[in-house]
Amino acid sequence: MTDALTYPDVVTWAVPFFIAAILAELLWIVIRGRGGRYETRDALTSLLMGAGNVAEGIVLGFVAYGFFMVLWQITPLDLGHSIWVILLCFVLDDLRYYWVHRFGHRIRWVWASHVNHHSSQHYNLTTALRQTWTGTFTFMMIVRAALILLGFHPAMVLFVGGLNLIYQFWIHTEAIGRLPRWVEAVMNTPSHHRVHHGRNPRYLDCNYAGVFIIWDKMFGTFVPELDREKVDYGLVHNLGTFNPLRVALHEWIGIWRDATQPGLTWRERLNYCLMPPGWSHDNSRGTSQTIKARYLATHPEEAGTPGLPSPGTPIR
Amino acid sequence: MPLIILLPMVILGIAGVAVLLHVLGLSRRAILADDAAARAAWLREFPEDTPKRIRRCHTHNAALIETARGLGVVWPMGADTTARYLKGARVRQGKSGLTLDLPDYTAPRIHLRLSPDEAKTWHRLLESCA
Repeated sequence: MTDALTYPDVVTWAVPFFIAAILAELLWIVIRGRGGRYETRDALTSLLMGAGNVAEGIVLGFVAYGFFMVLWQITPLDLGHSIWVILLCFVLDDLRYYWVHRFGHRIRWVWASHVNHHSSQHYNLTTALRQTWTGTFTFMMIVRAALILLGFHPAMVLFVGGLNLIYQFWIHTEAIGRLPRWVEAVMNTPSHHRVHHGRNPRYLDCNYAGVFIIWDKMFGTFVPELDREKVDYGLVHNLGTFNPLRVALHEWIGIWRDATQPGLTWRERLNYCLMPPGWSHDNSRGTSQTIKARYLATHPEEAGTPGLPSPGTPIR
Repeated sequence: MPLIILLPMVILGIAGVAVLLHVLGLSRRAILADDAAARAAWLREFPEDTPKRIRRCHTHNAALIETARGLGVVWPMGADTTARYLKGARVRQGKSGLTLDLPDYTAPRIHLRLSPDEAKTWHRLLESCA
């Protein structure tokens, strides 16, 4: 069994490319007067969140890697490290990403980590770097365990995960409209991912793909970008602070406050951690499903159009 | 990549982008040009709570919004806006306007630049709802 396999840390090696691409996008927007928006404090917060994410990886990366190495010792399977195995690992890891990302929007415990990526009201290349500081605490590394147990080396799994992250960087832009049809059909593109960052009711909770948009089409979560409805970026309730610490921790604090309020049953406390964002024991808030339903109450003609349920669909 | 290279690159990269954005004039705060803009900014956060009355401050940076559910404020978040209800807010008057401390981890403090007369009026209104 291969123990000492190593791959380059592609995400840190991509940092100069990230900075160069941000400068290129910014100059394009300033010179052409279109293709997106930048604002100083928003971009600074995004970049600090990105730096914090790298720091978290350095400080806590051993937790996931240690877990994966334990699994690697346990599994009897070793698929080796040929190019075909790496490609297969990349595709399966992208499927893993789809589900982790979907959990990230549908389970509040995981959303608490992922929410900061959606907390900018802008959509540019700095938004791509607005990453979590608390990913380790979601325990979503468990989903990756399947790949290790199938015989993909932990270093390979982390390597293709890094490539996946780098791919997703360039799709965080308004400077690119739509790509050729075959690309839009198979790959995650700026257009598809703009929709994912939308706070419009129809654009909530869709397009979870990392690299291949086919996962959303397979699992029924794909919503196309509509020319008639511009994407409104940000959270359903936008933050009132640029403080990176508050951006990183606000949903965890929210869970704590909700789950520890007096008079709740233990099931209700657990539900505040595990139910979709917006769930509340007294129905005083709204999940994405209730937001869509409320929207349809005032726009019934939109029922059944992309991202909105047909009449009679039960609210989850 | 060795930390000795990564760290300076990240620090200089972030600082460089921030300075460049500021120099390019991209630090301007959102303006609520008219009541319609204030109403739209409010409804963007609370689509079901229609404003009954809107008071924009003289700088057009912020607006007090009165709805059936109570009093709220719209204020700039950089080039964009956000809004909050003001239940439980503590209000302090300063030289340049009012500071609102909210029991909200996502919006703990709001500085509103107001004229002295505006500050007095808004302070009175806010204290009545706090």
